[in-house]
Formats: sequence, C-alpha cells, structure tokens
Amino acid sequence: MSDEAKRPAFVQTRRAFMATTTALAGAAAIGLPRLARGAQRHPKRGGVLRFATRDDTRGLDSHRNFVYYVSHPMAGTTGGLLDFNGRMEPVPAIATEWDVSKDLKTWTFKLRRGAEFHNGESIDAEAVKWNYERIMDPKIGHSFTRGVLGDLERVSVDDKYTVRCHLKNPSAIFAANLIYYPANLMAPGSVDQADTHPVGCGPFKFKSWKRHDTTELERFENFWETDAEGNALPYLDGLIGYPKKEDRVRLTALRTGEVDLIDNMAYADAAEFESNYGKDFNTWEVPHVGTAYISFNQKNGPFSAKDNPDAHLLRMAAAHAIDHEGIHQAIFHERGAIAKGFYSKSSPWYAEDIESWPEYDPDKARAILKKANGGDATFLIVAQDSYPYMHQSAEIAHAMLQEAGFKISLEIHPSPVLREKYQKGDFHLDSSANSYRLDPDAWYARALMSTSPDNKLRYGYESEKIDQMLVAAKVEVDQEKRRQIYRDVDSLVNKDLPLLYTHYVPLLQAGSKRVQGYQPAFAGPFQYAGGGLRTTWLEG
Amino acid sequence: MLAYTLRRIVYLVPVVFVLTVVVFAFVELLPGNIVDTLAGSEGVEDPEVRRALEEEFGLDQPVYVRYGRWVWRAAQGDFGYSLITRRPVSVELMSGIPATVYLALVGIGLSMLIAVPLGTIAAVKRNAPIDYAAQVTSLVGISIPEFWFAILCVLLFSLHLGWLPSSGYVSPFEDPLESVKYLILPAMAVAVRQAAYTTRLTRSSMLDEMNKEYVDTARAMGFSERKVIFKYTLRNAMIPTVTISGLQLANLLGGTVVLESIFAWPGIGRAIFEAIIQRDYPLIQAGVLVLGVIVVVINLLVDLTYSVLNPRVKLS
Amino acid sequence: MDDLAVHDRAAAPALAQVPAQVPAPPPRLRRLSAALSNAWYELRKSKTGLIGFAMLAVLFAACIATPVIATHDPVRQNYRERLVPPSEEHYLGTDRLGRDIYSRLLWGGRRLVTISLLAVAFGLAIGVPYGVLTGYVGGGVDTAAMRVVDGLLAFPGLLLYLLIVTLAREWKLEGFYNDLILIFALGFAFMPEVARLARGSVLVEKQREYVEAARSMGEGGLRIALREILPNIVSPLIVNATVRLGYVILIIAALSFLGLGTPPPTPDWGADLSAARDYMETAPMIAILPGLAICYTVLAFNLFGDGLRDILDPRLVER
Repeated sequence: MSDEAKRPAFVQTRRAFMATTTALAGAAAIGLPRLARGAQRHPKRGGVLRFATRDDTRGLDSHRNFVYYVSHPMAGTTGGLLDFNGRMEPVPAIATEWDVSKDLKTWTFKLRRGAEFHNGESIDAEAVKWNYERIMDPKIGHSFTRGVLGDLERVSVDDKYTVRCHLKNPSAIFAANLIYYPANLMAPGSVDQADTHPVGCGPFKFKSWKRHDTTELERFENFWETDAEGNALPYLDGLIGYPKKEDRVRLTALRTGEVDLIDNMAYADAAEFESNYGKDFNTWEVPHVGTAYISFNQKNGPFSAKDNPDAHLLRMAAAHAIDHEGIHQAIFHERGAIAKGFYSKSSPWYAEDIESWPEYDPDKARAILKKANGGDATFLIVAQDSYPYMHQSAEIAHAMLQEAGFKISLEIHPSPVLREKYQKGDFHLDSSANSYRLDPDAWYARALMSTSPDNKLRYGYESEKIDQMLVAAKVEVDQEKRRQIYRDVDSLVNKDLPLLYTHYVPLLQAGSKRVQGYQPAFAGPFQYAGGGLRTTWLEG
Repeated sequence: MLAYTLRRIVYLVPVVFVLTVVVFAFVELLPGNIVDTLAGSEGVEDPEVRRALEEEFGLDQPVYVRYGRWVWRAAQGDFGYSLITRRPVSVELMSGIPATVYLALVGIGLSMLIAVPLGTIAAVKRNAPIDYAAQVTSLVGISIPEFWFAILCVLLFSLHLGWLPSSGYVSPFEDPLESVKYLILPAMAVAVRQAAYTTRLTRSSMLDEMNKEYVDTARAMGFSERKVIFKYTLRNAMIPTVTISGLQLANLLGGTVVLESIFAWPGIGRAIFEAIIQRDYPLIQAGVLVLGVIVVVINLLVDLTYSVLNPRVKLS
Repeated sequence: MDDLAVHDRAAAPALAQVPAQVPAPPPRLRRLSAALSNAWYELRKSKTGLIGFAMLAVLFAACIATPVIATHDPVRQNYRERLVPPSEEHYLGTDRLGRDIYSRLLWGGRRLVTISLLAVAFGLAIGVPYGVLTGYVGGGVDTAAMRVVDGLLAFPGLLLYLLIVTLAREWKLEGFYNDLILIFALGFAFMPEVARLARGSVLVEKQREYVEAARSMGEGGLRIALREILPNIVSPLIVNATVRLGYVILIIAALSFLGLGTPPPTPDWGADLSAARDYMETAPMIAILPGLAICYTVLAFNLFGDGLRDILDPRLVER
C-alpha cells in the first residue's frame, strides 16, 4: 500500500489538495440543481445582503465567545488554519498543507504565503502560535474552543510559514477539530480591541455591531480564496446580520422584503411555505444541523447506578415511554428524520446497522415502573429555553412520560440557570441537542468519555468499554474502520441508554430570488470554502 | 417654594439609597455564581481558573466592600464591564437608552395628540354620542394587553397588507423616513393604551374644571363659550394631564420590555431583560439603577412643576 | 405601566380637600347595610357599572365552576389531534400540542383571577395598617416611612417584577410558591397607593371634632382610628382595588408572555398567547382567544370599577 493510502483520512498532500479543489469546482458546475442554475449566470460583484438570523454572538472576541457558523452573523469574519466545504469535509484555508508524525502526536502545518488579517498584518507562524496560546488560556478561551485544543501541549514555530503543534496524546483528527468549533485566528496586534473591533481573517471584515440590533460586515478585499475562474471572493460588498430570535418575526421580515435571507423557518411554517411562496422565494433544506436527544442524570438519583440498582431498568422504561413518531410529527412536522445514532443519512459517518433503542411501548414502561426500585420517585425534566424544538420536545416528552406512569414535572430555563442545575444534579432528564460535528470524536468523546468535563457535569456516565472504543477510534487512521467503531458505540448507547437519541434537527433556510449562488453547507453553515455566502451574489 | 424644593431634593438621597441597596441585593441573592457561569464546563472544577475569575470580579471581598466599591464607581459613571460582551456597561446602556426614549416620547406625543382633543370634546359635549364613544373606546383601550394589540397590528399591517415592517429599528438620525416606517407599529402599540388613559384623565379633569365656580362666573360675565373653554378650563385641566403624562413617560422607560421584544426594538428595557436572563450582573445593576434614578428625578420634576402651576395644592 | 399609582398621586391632594363640616357618622353596621343597598340602587343607574357587574358575574361563575364545566384535562396532550378547529368535542379546538383550548382558558382564567384577587387583597391588608399607622403617628416616622415607599415606587414599569420573578425562579420555588411570590410582589406594589389613601384619610380625620371628643373620653387612639377612619376609606379603596385588579392581570399576563410566568404545561393565558404566535397564520384563533380572554377580564373589572366610582366617590355626585 502506498504512503498516500496509509495516511489518515484528513491529511492531504499538495497533490491531493489540487485534486480536491478541481473536483470541487467541477462539482459546483454539475452538482445540486439550485447551484447549477446559479452557476450558469455570471456572478456580479457588489450588493449588500441582509441576513436575519435566529441568534447573535454574545461578544466580539472570537476566542472568548463561541461563534456559531449557522446563526451568528459574526461567523462571516472568522477563519482558521482549515476550512470546510459544502459537504463538511476539511479543506485548506490558511494552512495549505498539513501532516502528522507517525505517532500521531506532532502536527505540522504549512501556511499560505501572503495571507493577511483584516488589518493588513500578515498571518505567519508566530501569529498562529499566539492565537492558540491565547485560546488555551483558561481565563480567556471559551470552553468549546479550548476543548478542541485540549490535547495541545505546546506550539512551536519552525520558520515563518511552518507551525508545529505538539499534542499530549496521539490523535488522528486534531486538524479536523480545528475547524468546528472554530479555532479562529485574530490579529495579535488587535488584541486590545478584540471586544470592540475584532480583526480576523475571514471573507468579511467587521464594520459595526449594535447589540440585539444589527451586525455589519464588509468584504475583505484581500481574502485568499478565489472562484474557479480566478475572481476574488466574496462577491458581496457586505453583509448585514439582523438577529431576530423568533421564527415568525424572521419569516415575516423575509416575506415583507426587509431581509433577503433567513437562517431558519419554524417547522410549522415550513410545511406550507414551499407550496404557498415557492414562486417568490428560494428555499434550501439543511438536513442535519444537529441531533436532539434526551439525556439522563446518572450522577445521582433514580437513573444513576450509584444510587439505584435498577437505574438501567428505569432508563429503559423512560425510553419505552417515548414515542419517536409523535415527536417527528408534533415537533418537527415530519421534517428531518428520527435519530437512531448521532449521524444522519446525509453524513459520511452515517451507519445503517446501528442497533435500535427500546421500542415505544408505554404498557411495558408502566410495568417496569411498578416493580423497579425508584419507579415511584418524582422526576424532573429540564430543557433550555433558547431553541424552540428543545423545550417543545421536553413538553411532549413530559406528557409521554406522564402517560406511561411517571410522576414528573417540567422546567424550562435559560442556560446559566440550567448549568446550576447540572452542577447540583438537580434534574433527572434533559431534553437537549448537539450540533453536527465534522469529526465524530468531537461529539462522542465530549458526551460519553468518562473523563470529559461535559460528561461529568451533565451526565455522569462511566463505561470502560466505551472509553476503550473511543480511545481506539481517535487513533484509527482508516475512516471506514472508525465509522464502524462509532457504530458500535451508538449500538451500545442505545442499549445502555446514557442518553436517548430522538431526532435529527433539520433547518429550512429561505431567501428572496435575488439571492443567487447561495447554498448552505449540508449541516447549516452559511459560509465555507467554495460556497455559501462567499459565492453569493445579488441579482437585480 | 424654595424650601419645598430643597426638601424634595434632599429626600432624593434616601430614595436612591434604597434603590442601590435593592439592586445590589438582588444580584447578591441570585444563586448561581458568576464564576460558575464564566468558567465553563472545563473550568468549573479547575481551582486556578476559579481563583483567577474571583480576583477579576472582586468576589473574594466581603459584601459591604463590594457594595461600597460598586456605588463609588457607579457615582463616577463607571459601571464595570458586561460579563457577556466584555464591553463597558455604559456602552451597552448608551446604545439602548436612545431607542427607548425615542419610542416613549413619540408614543406619548402621539397619544396626547389623540387624547387631549378627544377628552376635551367628550367633556364639553357630555353625554352626547361622541362622549359615549370616547368613553367606550378608552375603556377598551386600557383593557387591551399591549402585546396582544401589537401582535394583531403586525398580523394586519405587516403580514396581510404589507405596508409596514414587522420588526427592527432605524435611527432617526440615520434615515428619518425609514426610521418612521419602523417606528409606526411600536409607537401605535404604546400610544393605544396611553391615549385611552389620557383621554379618561382629560375628560375627568375637564369635567372637574367645568364644574368650578369661576366657569359659571365667566359665562355670566358674557364670555363666549369658546373663550371659556380654551382660555381657562382647558389650561387648568391640562395641569394634571401634562404632569401625569410626564410620570407616564418615566414609567414607560422601563415598561416597554414586551414591545421591544416583539418588535426587536433595541431599547434599554430589552437590554436589561436579556441581561437578567443571561445573568449579566453588572449590566442588570447598572441598568436598573440608572433607570430608577431617571424615574425618581422625573417624578421630582413633575411634582415640582405641579406645585408651581397649582400653588394651592401642596403635595405632602 | 404604573399609570394607576401615578394617577392617584396627583388625585390625592384633591381627595384631601374634603369640606371641614361633616356630621358625626352613624354607627358602623347600619351604615354598612345602608351603604350596600344604596350602592345597588346606584349601580342600576350606572350603565357601565351594571355591564361590568354582569361581566364579572359571568367571569366568577366560570372560575368557580371550572372543575365542572371544563371538558378536558388542560394539560393532556394528544399530538394526533393538533390544531383541530372547534368541534363538538373541543368547543374551541385544540392547540399545537393537541390540548383542549376551552379547558385551558377556563383553568388559566381561574388561576389568573385567583392570584390577582389575592395580590390586591394582600396589598390592602398591608397597605391600610401601614398608612393608618404612619398617618396617625405622624412626624419623622411618617416621613421616613413614605420615603421608603417612594423608593420602591422608583422601579420603572415591569422591571421590578422581572427581578422578583427571576429571583423566585432561582430559589427553585415549586409552582404554588412561585405564585405566592408573585402575589407578594404585586401586593407590595399596590401597598403604597393604599397606604397613601389610608394615610390621607387619617390625616383629615385626625382633626375632626368627634375624634377629639372621643379622645377626651379616654378611648385609645388606635380604636378610634379603626372605628372611625376605616369605614370612610372603604369606598375609594374599593374603587382603587377594582381598577388595580385589571392592571395586575395585565402585568401577570405580560410576565407570562415574556416566559416568566408559571412553567409549562400549566395553562396560562399570557404564555399560551406567546406560544401561539408561531401559528398566527395557520391557526389564528389560538393566538386571538387568550388575548380576548385577557381583554374581557380586564374590561370587566374596569367597567365595574368605573361604575363603583360613579357611585361611591362623593366628588362625582353631580355627574
């Protein structure tokens, strides 16, 4: 087997990179129908796109605050060593090639020459080192991003354009993790204004931020990416983000022409939107923005093996009480699909043959409750108030569990309060969701590994078998073998029930007909290598 | 008069003091440590992270020290930094106050434009159909929940008719015409209730005035009805109306939370509401304190104005 | 939104201008029954009062009879029957989770009216003694007490309630205690107005001849206060309380609308209204009905309050 084939899936040489980009360009021309229609017309430079999103970033410092690719307008300004394409595959960005040592502990990145930050500072190895060290600082780095760099021990600079990352533990997927959630690069010289006027390296640069009101971005003229014909990207002059929390408000804004694009439509509206308004608006189905699930508190209480010998039995009872089909209809209005594992059909990590969770059988649930220890306890299901489907799922789950005989109450809280409850172990079930992860390790390790801080806080799940499987998967270089390991993990999850997968979270983005050349990535991000808002232009 | 004014100003001090104590106490009483929130799921267990954050926010000091420090800084306009955006709190406040004041002023102005004439006519033509109509509509007006009315307006004017935008804000200094478009629906929602209330108030004040002796005297002396109304009764009746509207304005400053949410209006009410949800303590404290002080000062000014205009009555 | 407190602050001086010559009041009980029958006679003359009374009667009847006349469990979901239009089984149709709207409105109203009544009653219960005492004692204590009250009134609009409700939530108070906090908070906000009224009345009465006379005969100050002063302030208090009820209902609805009311799935008009916004086009009724219910309830109290004011407020006799 050649060296090439032995390399981990996401490590590419220059040759491979060239092959990928040409393939991407080709795919863009003949690929998905809407994109094809757009690609036929010649893109025009200019215009400012008005984009209504469901959320806004908390603050402007992209190290301190997590910037979400789907719903935060500020995501137009972020960029890092790697990027992803429409199929959520890692591709070069600031780093043009990267490689890993045989022991999977040293990653070397070669940087693009001439890449600049928004203020003209050049992006070199020292800048990357400074950025990663700042992110790793526990007082500064947001927990997600710090988690991504969790394995990082130190960064060394070989020469102006070569950076080396030395890991504590071997990892086949360090590079992929750098993308999602983004380990953003900001200009070292701009650190004093990080909270007021951030300087990044993404396709758009920061212009202004009026909190709860608008985010204004303008085109970064020296952005490194070009389209297939060599024209500089992005085409748009600028982008204005309007965070509007309520789905209805956003949709109304689109229909009355106040904005050109919205990032999500309520499922209730989506059902009829395409038939009623399909003539005047474009829609883009995002099949898998995240995965919803119900998790159990196994730190303490009746679902915890520490406190209750029948804990697993009770969890099975709860699983029997949940009617997935009901959730599919009532919450998601038959959009998307029921989830048996973390990844859906549209993802390369999808596994067909995962063993399923317990079937819907409320009588069985009731029977278990009668004889199991702790079945007569009073339970509490919680949910976060920010995303409608999360707390709506909690409501419906609450009703289903009640019908099956559980004594249960429901509380919906904002995230700071919820965190308190997690810490105190003051809940039993949690209706939650996690966004799509480029690399499975980012989800499985975070949720299921017994050493994961997130797991310790929210679930308290400990399984030696799963720990072993996850460690093995992290250093497995063959993608197919990895996929199978994660399939086995999900089968075990469906049996052991630390959490119960419920549904994939779909999204329907919509925009006016003026918006051309736009296609969200299949997991929702609105700008990425070779697509999204980078290749969008405004007609008319 | 001067003594009265001075006394009222002195009374401000304990009131503001109570305000600061309540505001500070609220944050102290909230369970949920700032540190827990900021440390994230990784840092929560890490003692080094916790210690660093505690130092940064002075949580290692006893309560009264923190209180004193906060009041001292606040008096100088330094409200610290928002826990969420890390920008100075004064920046967050300043970005919110103009929008709310804009909405409140226009709302009250609009309401008075409708209410004063309507209330006056209703009083003058007492028991006529117009009076009846005014009474009914104003009764209904004070019974309608503002947010429901706002939603119905959006449904009608934005969705069905498409005349007006459903949400958003444009500053009047940037683009006056656009600004008005966004202002109409929220201002209407504000004005409906205020107008209903002010109509009733104007009507009852006018009736009071018209019943007074001097009106009969003026009529007996041959003044035209019109002169009697406009020159005397209306002016006198306006005193309570105008002063109460001033108080209403003060109250609107914090009461527009719901409307600001519905219309995505970036005002101070919404900023404080979001801050409460996100546990952004410095912003909560500063916002409620600033608004409270503004309300107290406006109340004072209104009371003083009232006693100047109507020296017969001294508010005890 | 605190227009009522505002109004009464300005009205207080007018109320204090009561003529000096007032005959000695007759014994309390006879006065009360006479007042009631007089009230009923006057009420019949006031059209608004009568309509308000009728509306309230219907409202209270519905609230009391809810366990009997509600057709479904308001919390029971049936996701196979979501957004069903009005039918024989569901008089007003079902909401987005398949719950019967008619039953939800009934139970929600019952809870809302109960809390509001309790809140206003609480305000009266603490405001009257507070006002009477401070007015009676007078001097520095009086001034200080009113300053504290002013301090509380300084909180603009909904903000005070937002803070209190958030605190209550934080302290993990179960459903009923959550409501209790709301009752306390709203009652507390009503207290200053009540106290001012009571105090104003006390100040006037303090000067009356019969008080001096009773004093000289050795009766304790407090007994005088309770016996002579209270009946006089009952009328304006009732008027204020009635109007205040409407206002309190709007506040509670606004808080639930913002998501700070009782947690789901308890029926709650404000929360149901908020949740229905997403369905305004597909099923507008579920957005309109709760709002209509709130409007009806507040209107009922306001109409009745107006009617009462027409009867009980001596100033307005000439109308």
